[in-house]
Order: sequence, then structure tokens, then C-alpha cells
Amino acid sequence: MANITKKVSWSSRPDETGATGETTPLLNGSEQPRHSRQMSGEGAIFHIGRHGAGDLEEEMTTEEEFLRGRPKEIPHNEKLLSLKFESLDYDNIENQLFLDEERRMSYMGFRCLEISRWVICALIGFLTGLIACFIDIVVEQVAKVKYNVIKENIETFTEAGGLSISLILWAVLNCSFVIVGAILVAFFEPIAAGSGIPQIKCYLNGVKIPRVVRLKTLVVKVCGVICSVVGGLAVGKEGPMIHSGGVVAAGVSQGRSTSLKRDFKIFEYFRRDTEKRDFVSAGAAAGVSAAFGAPVGGVLFSLEEGASFWNQMLTWRIFFASMISTFTLNFVLSVYHKKPGELSNPGLINFGRFESDSLAYTFYEIPLFIAMGAELLLCLMSAVLFCRYVHRPCLQVMEATLVAAVTAAVSFTMIYFSNDCQPLAPDNTEVYQLQLFCADGEYNSMATAFFNTPEKSVTSLFHDQPGTYNPLTLGLFTLTYFFLACWTYGLAVSAGVFIPSLLIGAAWGRLCGILLASIFSSSSTWADPGKYALIGAAAQLGGIVRMTLSLTVILVEATGNVTYGLPIMLVLMTSKIVGDYFQEGLYDIHIKLQSVPFLHWEAPATSHWLTAREVMSSPVTCLNKIEKVGTIVDILSNTSTNHNGFPVVVQVMEGDVPAKLCGLILRSQLIVLLKHKVFVELARSRLTQRKLLLKDFRDAYPRFPPIQSIHVSQDERECMMDLTEFMNPTPYTVPQETSLPRVFKLFRALGLRHLVVVDDENRVVGLVSRKDLARYHLGKHGLEELHLAQT
Amino acid sequence: MSQHKNSLLLALLTLNTIYMVQADSLNPAPDMSSLFSTSLMSSFPEDLEISGYCKELLFFFKQRYVTFVDCLILAARPVKVCQNCSSSYSMLQDIYRNISDQVGPGNESCRDSLLSSDRLMVVYQLYSNLQDLWTSSNCESNLTNDTLNFLSTLNQTLTCFEKYQLGNHTELCKSCKKMYGDVNKLYGRMEKNDTMCIDLEDAMNMTRRLWSKNFNCSLPRDETVPVLAVSSFMLFLPVIFYLSSFLHSEQKKRKLIHRSLLDRYSIKAAGDGIFSVR
Repeated sequence: MANITKKVSWSSRPDETGATGETTPLLNGSEQPRHSRQMSGEGAIFHIGRHGAGDLEEEMTTEEEFLRGRPKEIPHNEKLLSLKFESLDYDNIENQLFLDEERRMSYMGFRCLEISRWVICALIGFLTGLIACFIDIVVEQVAKVKYNVIKENIETFTEAGGLSISLILWAVLNCSFVIVGAILVAFFEPIAAGSGIPQIKCYLNGVKIPRVVRLKTLVVKVCGVICSVVGGLAVGKEGPMIHSGGVVAAGVSQGRSTSLKRDFKIFEYFRRDTEKRDFVSAGAAAGVSAAFGAPVGGVLFSLEEGASFWNQMLTWRIFFASMISTFTLNFVLSVYHKKPGELSNPGLINFGRFESDSLAYTFYEIPLFIAMGAELLLCLMSAVLFCRYVHRPCLQVMEATLVAAVTAAVSFTMIYFSNDCQPLAPDNTEVYQLQLFCADGEYNSMATAFFNTPEKSVTSLFHDQPGTYNPLTLGLFTLTYFFLACWTYGLAVSAGVFIPSLLIGAAWGRLCGILLASIFSSSSTWADPGKYALIGAAAQLGGIVRMTLSLTVILVEATGNVTYGLPIMLVLMTSKIVGDYFQEGLYDIHIKLQSVPFLHWEAPATSHWLTAREVMSSPVTCLNKIEKVGTIVDILSNTSTNHNGFPVVVQVMEGDVPAKLCGLILRSQLIVLLKHKVFVELARSRLTQRKLLLKDFRDAYPRFPPIQSIHVSQDERECMMDLTEFMNPTPYTVPQETSLPRVFKLFRALGLRHLVVVDDENRVVGLVSRKDLARYHLGKHGLEELHLAQT
Repeated sequence: MSQHKNSLLLALLTLNTIYMVQADSLNPAPDMSSLFSTSLMSSFPEDLEISGYCKELLFFFKQRYVTFVDCLILAARPVKVCQNCSSSYSMLQDIYRNISDQVGPGNESCRDSLLSSDRLMVVYQLYSNLQDLWTSSNCESNLTNDTLNFLSTLNQTLTCFEKYQLGNHTELCKSCKKMYGDVNKLYGRMEKNDTMCIDLEDAMNMTRRLWSKNFNCSLPRDETVPVLAVSSFMLFLPVIFYLSSFLHSEQKKRKLIHRSLLDRYSIKAAGDGIFSVR
């Protein structure tokens, strides 16, 4: 996805920022420019490193600017971290209210909770499967109409003359679908653009991406996918399924929809980031399993890409959700195909069966397969990512329309000039064939590849008889489709990259197979190019998305043949190794361009010398255990800091000495407290006042009102607030000397949001948040530090 | 043919005389048993032997089988299987049904003794092979009005081809075009509706090949210029679009926030360039 395009989509719009308060930064600590003396050594070297040695003069001026305390402005690049992203609160807040509730809950209550978790997972699977069916059926029906109209038109005009009119018809049809899709995405929900996998990946990593799991996003996503696939773009509908699954999960598990203003009063216990995130990982797994018919692959996808915090019971539930999802899809599609009960459509993309003898491989082919894995097509694709300049919505719509038109034009020209005519195989009744200038009874084989939905083209590349395509056709097809796919990726339409990469891979894989067969014409081993198409597809996909374990399992499950496991694994390994040498995976580039503070699997390798003291932010805004309401309101309203977690301290000595840590309280909690006016004075005067329960916090979740909307009168400002009951009395702390990898591990394994750094007398020295850790990463030249940037 | 098969079968059984059999199979021997020193006994006890009725059925089966196969082979190219061999197939079907379903005099059935008393199941295998062949030929598909119509049009077209065959092919293309188009359209319609029998399919294929390959009447590719013009126009649009949006927009600037490390701790690392970025 394009850097700038997505920039628009991932940030809240300014008006909403104020209204929802969802976009407060997760960084806590002092980052105001008033401390902007620069460290002489580091800063200078850093800038030279980035701008090139010739920019010394510019360096001087920026340095001066810093002295005057103005922030520096630089063009957006991938080496930034944005302050607008918040962390999820995965850590459980064990305050007094929580303990009370736990005490009140019976044993049965806990059993019921466990059961409702399973029910939710079943619902997630079921709904995700249904959505997949809906997309599949609508795409198939509309595409059928579209292709038949064009086909008839082409047939008429082949005879009568005027094929350019057919070309225009095709382009116009494509464009009109794509316009609808692009308008939906660009004007209504920009976050629904692209496949949504990077977003879900970030969410599962623990970053709250605004609006990523809303109902509106889901609706736009589903409609957008249908439009862009029917519009003939080089895209697939599989990637968006993963996002859709995630949204379904987030919606179902909450038992209400904030967008529709409906509260079903169920599953109230799950209105927390912890539970929601677990369910979203189940939803993502269900999405994968519906898309590829790969339940195990789905679980592994969630494990590999998402969840950094994981337990066995959760895995089992996720597996349950993905099984239900693939089964639902399978069943509904079997009814749709009028063969109820014949469960032969486990996924949206059906690779078909790889079972015949000619598709068996022998051990001496394995090195060949590995060689095929080493391919470098990815580099170009990611290069395109960096040069997107279009960020106004109407321009995005125009861009998408143009791409659709060009796709049609290029496809048509390729088909028109192709001389490759092949007789029609008897079982190919569902693909749309074009005859054009071929002899009667034969069909243009370029059209088999271009004049089809991409899924069908993939399947025909895998399974058509040897000799269906000639090498020239395949070569041209690969090349054109590759450029189209690169160009399409990053448009403001919802679409996935799985199918285009499978298609490109399958095309050149088949090409390799055909060439091999012509070299070793005697042996029958090389007879079927289908298996090379499969290997090529695996290599291409692996090179683009860089998933390892989950992708292997997904592909093995999609082919339905376990014996392909070894070659697919080897191919994915090689393509990952070769690809990593040149460029990161597509999703990682994407995440970087969004400046998301993403925590990878491990801390950078050479970072042990960095300690918590160097990493942390300080000074920290602390609150007293019994704090004046006015102070709290002021702190929360301070837009320049916008902190989210506040250590609660008790002052032991008078003076400037840092106070001792006794707890941690979150912004959201404070806001709820202010809203309910839980003040010490009021509690004294009104004895009957209801005690605040955990439920009140859950009801406000996930859209806590911003501080501006809470009215506090002048009298109330003088009141006091007792935070003892509400704060987390045992926040995680580390000593100052803790190394970065240690802190990193805590964050990653526990899903922390704030980590308080204390000195040997338990006094707060600083606070480590996700952003402080994500800043450090291992670049080409050793450890690098990313800049923090406001959006 | 059946004799030949017999001899091969026996050759497998009697390995010691293999050379003799080979020599023998070239000119079929009148009496098998006399040639082999250790052949199978000619007959088994009464109750295991097949009855006269079954023997008779087997004989009829053999006759009709041979007739049908003869017919098939003669109608192989150009395919006229359905037209010529339907009757002999139905006769073969009758006799097989007799063997498998009917009971003869004395309520005796030949089903077990003929069809499934040994591993080879010769009769069954032979019949089922032919049955598969027949099914894949689709000869059973219904004869409709369309079919008859199609046949007559096809014949007309072929006559037309014959008429102009010797002269200039362009003339043929012009004058037979309408007829050929009718046949093609009719065939396309029938193909969509139901399965076609192999005879019609083959006839149509041959006609199409004549038309496209032999007479070269395929449509010419004569619209290259307009198609190229339109598509290059479409290719040109994005160039304009990107150029204009490139010129009229600038990348958004990001405000950097510097966290001064100096405030927090004494310079420890920066001086030695541990942090350096080359």
C-alpha cells in the first residue's frame, strides 16, 4: 500500500480525533521540544547518514532551528515512528474493583464465561464463512454477467468489425465497477483499502489502529472487494477475508455495535482489549481458513503473524473457529452449487486436486524446485510502493479508474495480438472462452488467462493439459500481469495481493515446466507443467509476503496433497532467504511506511548495551494517590503531552525528590472516574452514592469520551479524587540497568503498555512505552534509531 | 481372434512349452490339447462344467461381440459409430442382459458361471470395456428436430464446399459463408443445450477444420490500427494523470520530535560512536 495513500487511511480524520479521543499517542514521557539541546555526536552523524554527506550546510540550519525550539520537518519516509498510534491494554488491571468482581462471581459464572468464549468462536467462524460465501457468490454472478456481455459483444464485432468498441465497452464496464469500489473506500472508510493484513498484523501485535475493526470498515471492505474483483483489477479476494474475519470477531465478541448504537447486553465481560484481541486473532484465523480452505494454516497464520501473547487454550479455540468457518463456507457453497452435502469447496480459492500420477514429483526434482524459489521479482513491486503521490480522495478514485481502464486495454491488446490458439478441453465449460481470430473450434489461449477472474486463471494454469499454453503466451502474460499487479497494489481499493502473486508465480512456473519438458523431451517425468506452476506460485507468494510456516501449511492444505509439503517448504525457504537479502516483505514495508511502532519477534541483536535508563522517557507525569481534580483535568487536557498511563505515587518527603511508586492508572480510567464524579467530597456528603463497578468501565469501552466533553465545574476542580481503588496497584517495574532485550521480552510476552522504570528506592525515574522500544531496529549498518514524528 | 487369445492364455499356463506356443501362435493350431504334453484336462466333473444353455449363450455373445467390434473399427475414421453400429450394440446389449439377468430352462442362470466365476472375468471385462466406449461416444443422446436440421444444413454446406473446392478459395469463403455460419450457430446452440453424439461432433470438427485450415476462411485481423489507437490512448491517460498530480502536490512533511538524550543521562555512548550510523 502506498505510503501516502495509506497515511490518509490510517490516521483518524482531524474532526474525529477530537470527538473520539482514540488517537492519543501511546508515548508517555517528555517529548516537548523545550528540551531540545541536541547531543552533539549522535545527532550530527545521524543526519549526515540520512541526507548524504553533501548536506552539511542544511545540517547547520536545522541545528539552529533546534536551538530555537522549533521542530524539524522532513518528508515522510519509512524511518519514522508516528505518535498517533496507541497500544492496546493487554495487561490485566488487578485493581480493587477487579478483585471485588472476581470474589462475587460464582464458579458457575466462570464456567459460563468459558462456554460463551466457545460460542463466540463458533459465531465468528460461522459469520466469517458466510461473508466469504457472499463475496464468492456475488463475484461469480456479477463476473458472469460482465464477461458474457463482453464476450457476446466481441463475438459480434469480430465478424462485423469494430473491435475497438468492444475494447471501450470492456474498459467502461471495468471502470464503473472500480469507481464504485474506490469511492466507497476513498470517501467512506480509507482504512478498508488494501488487503488489511498489515493492519490486522499491527492490531494483533498490540497497536490500536483507529477504526480498523469497525462494522463500517467491514461493509466497505466487502463491497469494495466485490467491486474491485469484478472490475477486473489484478487483485484477489482472499487477503481482505482475513481483515473481514478480524472485524467480525471484534464485533461479535463485544455483543454490541457502537456504529449502529445497538447493545445486545451480551458478552459484556469481553469488553476489554485483552479479550477482544484474542477474539480478533481467532477471526483472522477464520478468515484465512475461509479464504484458502486451510484451517490449520489459519491458526498458524494467527500464531506467526499476530499473536505475541499466546496460550494453548486460545489456540484450540482459534482452531475451532477456523474449522467452523471453512465448514460453513463449504456447506453453503455446496448448496449454492446444487450439490448439498458434497463438501468440495473448502476455500474461496480452490487449487483443485493434485493427485494424478503425472503430478507426482521425484527426489531429483527438488533442487530444481529450490532453484525456482530463488526469484527476485519482489524488488520491483516494493519499489512502486515508494512513489505514490496521490493522496486526495477524488484523485485516488481517478487513479483507480485509470488503472482499471489500462488493465482492460492491456488485456485486450494482448488477446488481440496473440496467435496462440488451442483446442478447447472438454471439461472447461465454466471459463469464458474467446475465439477471435482463431480457427473455429479453437480458442485464444491468452484469453483463457486474461479474460477471467484471477482465481479461475490460477486454477487453469495449475490444471490445464500440457500444451494448453505456449511459452510465448505465458511469458508475455507473466510480464504484463506483473506490472499490472505492482501498479494495482496500493490503490485505494480493497483487494488482496495473494491471488495476483499466485497467478504470476503459476504463469512463470508453468513456463519453466514447459521449457524443462522441451529440454528433456524423452522423459515423462517432466510431462506435466502443472506442478511447476504450483511451485512457482508458492515461490512468488513466499517472496512477496515472506510468511514461512503458515504459508507452507496453507499451500499444502489448499492443494490437498501432503506430499507437496517438502518442496513447498524448501521453495518458501529459499525465496525468503533470497528475498530478505534484497528487501523486506511487502507487509513489513507497509507497516514501516505507516510508521507504526511494531514490535518484532525479538529485540535487535546488538542492543544489549542499551539500558532501560537510556530507552525510557522522562520525566514522567505522576499523580498522587489522592489528587486534586483540577490537576487531573489539566494533565489530561494538555494536548502537547497526551499521555495515556500515569504512575501513581505517594510523596514520602517534602521537596523535589521523586516520590515512591504505588500504582499505575490509565487515561481511560481517569476519564470514567471524572465522568462519574467519583470525588472524595461527594462520597462523604452523599452516602447513598452507588459504588463504581468494573461494568462502568466496560460500558465506556472502546470509545472513551475525550476529556473536552467532560464538564468539571470550578467547585469540583477543588475536590479530591482517591485513586487507590482504581489504579493497578502492582504495575510491572524494572530497575534502570535492565537491558533493552530484557525490557523487550517483557513487553512482547506480557503485552505491556507501560513499564515503569524505578530506582533502588522504588522512585519513578521514567516510563518505557512501546514506542521507545520500537525505535531501535537493526538496519543495514547496525543498530539504528527511528525518529518520532507527529502526524 | 478369439483363438489367438486362447493360445496366449494357455501359453501363460504352460510355461514349459512356451517356445512351441510362440512358434505356434503364428499359424493357429487346429487342436490345442494334442500339442501340449502337460495341458489342462479338457473337462471337469459334470457339476462344475457350464451347461449347454450357457454355452449357447456364450456362443451368441461371441458372435455379436465380433460383429459390433467389426463395425466399430470400420466406422472409426471419420467417426460414424453412432450411425452404423447402434443396432449391433443393442443386440450385444440384449445378449449380455440375457446372460446377466434372465433365467433359462430349468430355472438356471448363467450369470455366476459365465460372468464371475474366475478372477479374469473375461466376458464381463470385454463387455464393460465396450460399454464405456459407447457411453463416451454419447450416441444415446436424443435425436431432436435440431439434429435433423443440423444434418441437412451440414450436408448442404459440404456440397457447397465441394462445388467451389477446385476454384479460388476466396470465392468459396464468400459463397458458403452464410451456410457455414448457420451450421456453426446451430451447432453452438445444440452444444450449449445438451451433449452431442460423437458423429455430429466429429463432422462439425472436420467441417470447421476444412473451413479454417484448408480453405483459410478465418476472420482476418484487420482492425489493428483502431485497437492500437484506443488502447494507447488509454495507456496515455495515466501518464498525464501522474504527471499532473506529481506537479501539483508535494509530499506531506512530518514534524520530528527530538527526545533529548542529554537531559536524561550523561553521554556515555554517543561520544565513542557506538551509535554512529555510517
